[in-house]
Amino acid sequence: MERITRRELLKRGSIAGAGVAIGSSLGKKGFAEEKGEKISLPKIVERSRESNLERMEKDLQRALQKPQHERHWVYVIDVKKCVGCAACIAACQTENRTPPGVVYRPVIHEELGKYPNVTRRHIPRLCNQCDNPPCTPVCPVDATYKRADGIVVMDYDRCIGCRYCATACPYNSRLFDFGEFYARGKGFFPIMPYENVPTYEYKVSWKRHKGRSPVGNVRKCHFCLHRIERGLLPQCLVTCLGAVNYFGDSNDRKSLVSELISKSNVMRLKEELGTKPQVYYLL
Amino acid sequence: MKNRAINWFLLLTGISGIIGVGAIVYRLVEGMKVTSLTSNFPWGMWISYYIYFIGLSAGSFLFSTLIYVFGRRELEKAGRLALFSAFFALVAGLLFIWMDLGHPWRFLYVFAHWNYSSVLAWEILFYLGYIVVVLAELWYLMRADLGLMRDESSAGKRAFYGALALGWKTPGTKEERESARQGSMRAAAVLGAIGIPLAIGVHGGTGAVFAVVKARPHWYSAIFPIIFLTSALVSGAGLMTFLYAFLGDKGESDYPRIVRSLADWLILFLAIDIILIIAEFLVTVYGNIPEPIAIWKEMIFGPYWFVFWVGQIGLAMLVPILIYLFKRNSSTWLGIGGLSVVMGIVAVRLNLVIPAFATSPVPLLDKAFHDARFVFSYFPSLTEWVTSLGLISVVAFFFLVFYRLLPMVRTSEEYSV
Repeated sequence: MERITRRELLKRGSIAGAGVAIGSSLGKKGFAEEKGEKISLPKIVERSRESNLERMEKDLQRALQKPQHERHWVYVIDVKKCVGCAACIAACQTENRTPPGVVYRPVIHEELGKYPNVTRRHIPRLCNQCDNPPCTPVCPVDATYKRADGIVVMDYDRCIGCRYCATACPYNSRLFDFGEFYARGKGFFPIMPYENVPTYEYKVSWKRHKGRSPVGNVRKCHFCLHRIERGLLPQCLVTCLGAVNYFGDSNDRKSLVSELISKSNVMRLKEELGTKPQVYYLL
Repeated sequence: MKNRAINWFLLLTGISGIIGVGAIVYRLVEGMKVTSLTSNFPWGMWISYYIYFIGLSAGSFLFSTLIYVFGRRELEKAGRLALFSAFFALVAGLLFIWMDLGHPWRFLYVFAHWNYSSVLAWEILFYLGYIVVVLAELWYLMRADLGLMRDESSAGKRAFYGALALGWKTPGTKEERESARQGSMRAAAVLGAIGIPLAIGVHGGTGAVFAVVKARPHWYSAIFPIIFLTSALVSGAGLMTFLYAFLGDKGESDYPRIVRSLADWLILFLAIDIILIIAEFLVTVYGNIPEPIAIWKEMIFGPYWFVFWVGQIGLAMLVPILIYLFKRNSSTWLGIGGLSVVMGIVAVRLNLVIPAFATSPVPLLDKAFHDARFVFSYFPSLTEWVTSLGLISVVAFFFLVFYRLLPMVRTSEEYSV
C-alpha cells in the first residue's frame, strides 16, 4: 500500500465528505403511501460484506420507490447457517410486544441421523404470506386479506376473534391473543411497565387492554410491515447472529432474494397444498 | 307426577342456570383467557357444543318434515315438540358460538362485512333463514290454539297468548275452523319443504366449515359434511324419542306406538351413521398416512379414550341398539335409549373437533416454544365447564317454561288445529 501524505488525505476526505453531504441532502424519499405520506428513508451504513445488510437495505429502498402493488416481499432463510439461538424470537417479541402465547416465528429444532452420523437442524417458521392463502377466504368478516405487496394483513379493528383463520392455516402461523400479561396474575404482580408499551403493528399504535384489540384477535407475523415501509429491515433479520435471513422484493430481478430463490436448493413448507408460500428455505 | 318432575327440573335448571349466567358474565368481562384454549388449539368445548346443538336442531327439524312434508301422520303428536326443540337447540347453538368469539359484541360485523367466500359467513345467513322458517311453521301449527287460549285467558296471560297469536281471530263456524286447519297444514308443508334444503345447508354447512380446511387432514374429506348430517338426524331422532317418551301424554292410546315409531327411525338413522363412520375409519386406516392415523390413534388410545369408547361407542351406539333389541316394548326404556343417544352424540362432536388439533401440522412445532398458550393439548377449564352447563341449563329452563305455557304436545281435541 502506498503512503499517502497528510495533504492527499485531507483532499480526498473533503471530496468524499462533500459527496456524502450532497448525496444525503438530495435524500431518497419513499414512495407515497396510501395516504400520500412521504417518509425519509434511513441512510445506508457500510457493514461487513457477509451480512448482505447493505445490499438488502438498498434493495428495500429501491423497492419503496415503486408503488405498493409492484412490490412482492419474500423472505429467505438459510437453514445451514441457523444455530438455533432463538434470538430472532426474542427480537420479534420485543419489537411487536407480543403477549404470552403469541410468538410469530418459533424455531423448530430437529436432531437428525443416528450416532455417529448425527446433526442438528433449526428451522424458523414465520407466516409464509402465502400467495394463495387458505386463511383469507375463511374469515367471515373479511378481516384478513392479502395486500398488493404480498403481505397477508390483519384488520385488528374488524376481527371478531372466531379463530377460523387459525384453524385453516396449515403452518399454525396464526396466534390468538388471550389477553394475558407476563407478570400479572402470577402472585401479586401488577402489569409491568414494559407490558404497557404500545406496539406499532400495521403502523398504528396499539396498547393492550382487556376486551380491546389486539386482545381477543388473531395475530401473526407481518414481515414487520411498520419497519419495512420506513426502510428498515424486519427485526428478526437484523438481530440474527448468523445472518441467516434475507428479505426483499422478488419482483425486482436485481434484488438479492431474487437471486437466492432461483437456486435449486430451495424448499418451501407444504408446497403440495398449493398455498404458494413466500418464505423460502435454502437447504 | 310428571308435573312434579318438571317442577324439580325447573328448579334444577334454574339454579344451575343462574350460576351459569354468572360464569358467562365473568367470561365476557375477563375475555378468552378464562378458557384453557391455546393458539395451537383454537377450538374446544364451546365450538363442540355449538355444532352439537346446531345438529340437534337440524335433526329435530328434519324429523318434523317426516310429519308435515312426507305425511307420516301417526307421528303428528310429536310434531310441535320437534319444531320447538329445533328452535331452542338453534338458540343454544348460536349462543355457544357467540360466547366463543374473541370479540362477542362484534358479531354484527358478520352482516356488515359479510365475506362470500367464508362458509361460516354463509352459515350465519342460513341460521337466520332457518329460524324464520321454524318460527313461521310453529305459528301456523299453533295459531288456532293460541287464539283459543287468548280468548279464554285472564288479563296477564291474555297479553302473552295474544302477542304470540299475532292477531289471529278464531273463526266462528266449524267449517271455517276446519278450512283454517287445512290451510295451516298446507303452510306447514310448504315451510317444511323450504326448510329441508335450509336445514341441510345449516348442518351440512356446519360440516363444510370443517371439511374445507385442507390444513387438517382429519376433516378434509367429502364424507365429513355427510357424517355431520347423519349424526344430526340421529341426535334429532334421539331427542324426539326421549322428549316424547317423558313429556308425551301417557294416557293417550297411541302413545306407545308413537314412541316405538320414533325409536324405529332412530335406529334406522343410527345404522346409516354407523356405516359412514366405519367407511371413514377403514379407508383411513388402510391408507396409513401418518397425520390422519395419528388423530384416530389419539381418539381411540389417547388420554381421552373414554370419550370415544364410553361416549361415542357406548352411549351413542351400543346402548340404544341393545335397548332396541331387548326392551323395545317399554316406552320408558326407549326414552332412556333416546337420552343415551343425546348424550353420546356430544362425545361424537367433541371427537370431531378436538383431536384434529392434538398433533402439530408442522413437525416438531410442539417442542419449538414453551408457553402455556402454545401447547398442543387441551382440557376444558372450570369456567368452560360451568358456562357450558349453565348455558344449556338456561335454554332447558326456558324450554320447560314454554312447555308449561304452550301446548307443545298435542293431546286432546279440545284445542284443535
